[in-house]
Amino acid sequence: MQISIKNLYKNYQLNGLEVPAIRGIDLTIKKGEFSAIAGPSGSGKTTLLNIIGGLDRPTAGEIRVGNDDLNKLNQKELSDLRLHRIGFIFQAYNLIPVLTALENVEYVLLLQGVLKEERTTRSTRILEEVGLGEYINRFPKELSGGQQQRVAVARAIVSEPEIILADEPTANLDQKTGALLLDLMHDLNHKKNITFLFSTHDQMVMEKARRLVYLTDGTSNSDTFRGHGHFKDNKIKKKSKKKSN
Amino acid sequence: MKTLILISWRNLWRQKRRSLIVILSVGLGIFAMILSIGLLNGMINQAVENTISTSIGHIAIHQKGFQDTMKLEYNFLPARGIEKIIMEENYVSSYAPRLKVQAMVRSAEASRGVLVYGIDPEKEKTISKISDYTIKEDGGAFLDSPSEGSILISKSMAKKLDLLIGDKLVLMIQDKNNEIVGIGMTVKGFFQTPVDSFDKFVVFAGMRKMQEITGLDKNITEINILLKDKKDVDAVKKLLISKIGNPDLEILTWKDMVPNLVSAVKFMDAMMYIFFSIIFITVIFSIANTLVMAIMERFHEIGVMKSIGTRPSWIFFIVIFEAVNLGLIGLAAGVSMGTICTMVLSNVGLDFSFFIESMRMWGTGSIIYPSIKTMDIVMATVIVMSTTIVAALYPAVKAARIKPLEALNYV
Repeated sequence: MQISIKNLYKNYQLNGLEVPAIRGIDLTIKKGEFSAIAGPSGSGKTTLLNIIGGLDRPTAGEIRVGNDDLNKLNQKELSDLRLHRIGFIFQAYNLIPVLTALENVEYVLLLQGVLKEERTTRSTRILEEVGLGEYINRFPKELSGGQQQRVAVARAIVSEPEIILADEPTANLDQKTGALLLDLMHDLNHKKNITFLFSTHDQMVMEKARRLVYLTDGTSNSDTFRGHGHFKDNKIKKKSKKKSN
Repeated sequence: MKTLILISWRNLWRQKRRSLIVILSVGLGIFAMILSIGLLNGMINQAVENTISTSIGHIAIHQKGFQDTMKLEYNFLPARGIEKIIMEENYVSSYAPRLKVQAMVRSAEASRGVLVYGIDPEKEKTISKISDYTIKEDGGAFLDSPSEGSILISKSMAKKLDLLIGDKLVLMIQDKNNEIVGIGMTVKGFFQTPVDSFDKFVVFAGMRKMQEITGLDKNITEINILLKDKKDVDAVKKLLISKIGNPDLEILTWKDMVPNLVSAVKFMDAMMYIFFSIIFITVIFSIANTLVMAIMERFHEIGVMKSIGTRPSWIFFIVIFEAVNLGLIGLAAGVSMGTICTMVLSNVGLDFSFFIESMRMWGTGSIIYPSIKTMDIVMATVIVMSTTIVAALYPAVKAARIKPLEALNYV
């Protein structure tokens, strides 16, 4: 499974004016990547993530998740895509406040129609994996920011999605908590081969990522890969060639 | 489904005070509705029962023409056959003959036009409550024999005529030959019924005595019948008509004899619709308003739920369930309060004696015993629940249509 984006454009209407947010991006994300999209505010990071997640539709261009052309899916099919194949982690944790940690994680499995017993075992196991074994029956407001974000990670991975989209996951956390969270995700990527795609401002995230796509003004002006320790700088001319990594 | 209900249940208690206010307003509305329906039911029932138990019974048999004119010439002989038919009828609880004659009573002070009920005291006890309504203090008593020369008058009439027990009055009657005859009678007792018009107009005397005075011999003007169950009147009326088979006799139910009470019952049914629509409006607005507010508050959260793959229909049901929960709790509170209150009051009674004059005019008596039918409660339940769901439709659709992206960006 891979995500491939071809010649993607997105304009927003703002007070009657067309404001371009993404201007021609080509990108392919392969199974098992641990990649970050960086760039200044307004460069289109979040928009790109939203389009990949089926929350937003592109103005032009093609986006495929696996074999599915997202432009051809209706709202319900997009819902199902998000439910089964994509996990989200948001900046503001975004747990369901009336559900406990365990219930929040279970919720996704419930939507998937997993049976009660299996739901509970799987959710409990995942919460233990993210280090929240003791807190499974707490409500979000009874957890710290870092803990809430761990629940959010657990919720995102419990359904074993093909990719996890994390929109500035560390932005609301302090340095240490952010680092721990990132380590956790790194571990999960390593051990379970879960694909992660971040959008971030955070230097630490950029350093940990094995691939860094840098956006400015809605286009990618650099796409670098890192094997061990340092990025292999791989500047590209925008839209000049099809990438193959 | 269980989780959806759980979510909506917990959502409900996030704003405890607001939810409680809605529950309270729904509950109070239903409570007030049940109580007022109970009171109205009680009033109407009592008015009907009081009229039946004083003057008309469930079914009456007359000579054709009597009901409209109340004239003595429409009399008939209660043939053995008729009595046998009535007696053998399973639905019948009791019956009694009466001789109703228009007359004038005169005391030393004043005179009044009255309707004399010539009764057989023992039989009368089985069909009317006049014996119970007779005031036993001051040496007053109910009639003993159909042939005695005494009379029973209402307390209010006694006051107007300035009569005491044991006093004499003169009864002036047109007999069957249209001759005016006068006869002295002794006042044996006073009665007081809850029906004002009855007290103003009716006196009781022995039936044999009245037959003597009017020269009717063994003839009477009506047979009054009390059934075991009031509901059977129409069926029994039909049965009696076909069994007695006398075209000169008219067999009427209480509904035929007091059409104004029947229309009061219909009026009350119409009132019910008004009550129901008031509740309808209260429920619609309080629930819809609360839900719209709740959804605005949870705009972001609904966006999250949708972005992690919750289908719009699920969001729709979460909102509907929240409304149903609100409605159900309010309903439970209102119905239980209303029913308990009505049941207690139906035993204790609600004393309206500060309205006594108008209550007597309605013939209900001054103490109202509310009564509520299971059907009314079922009706209220169905109406409130369906209204709740109707009220929730708009907010639920709105919530289901929230675009996840907009909601995520909305904090």
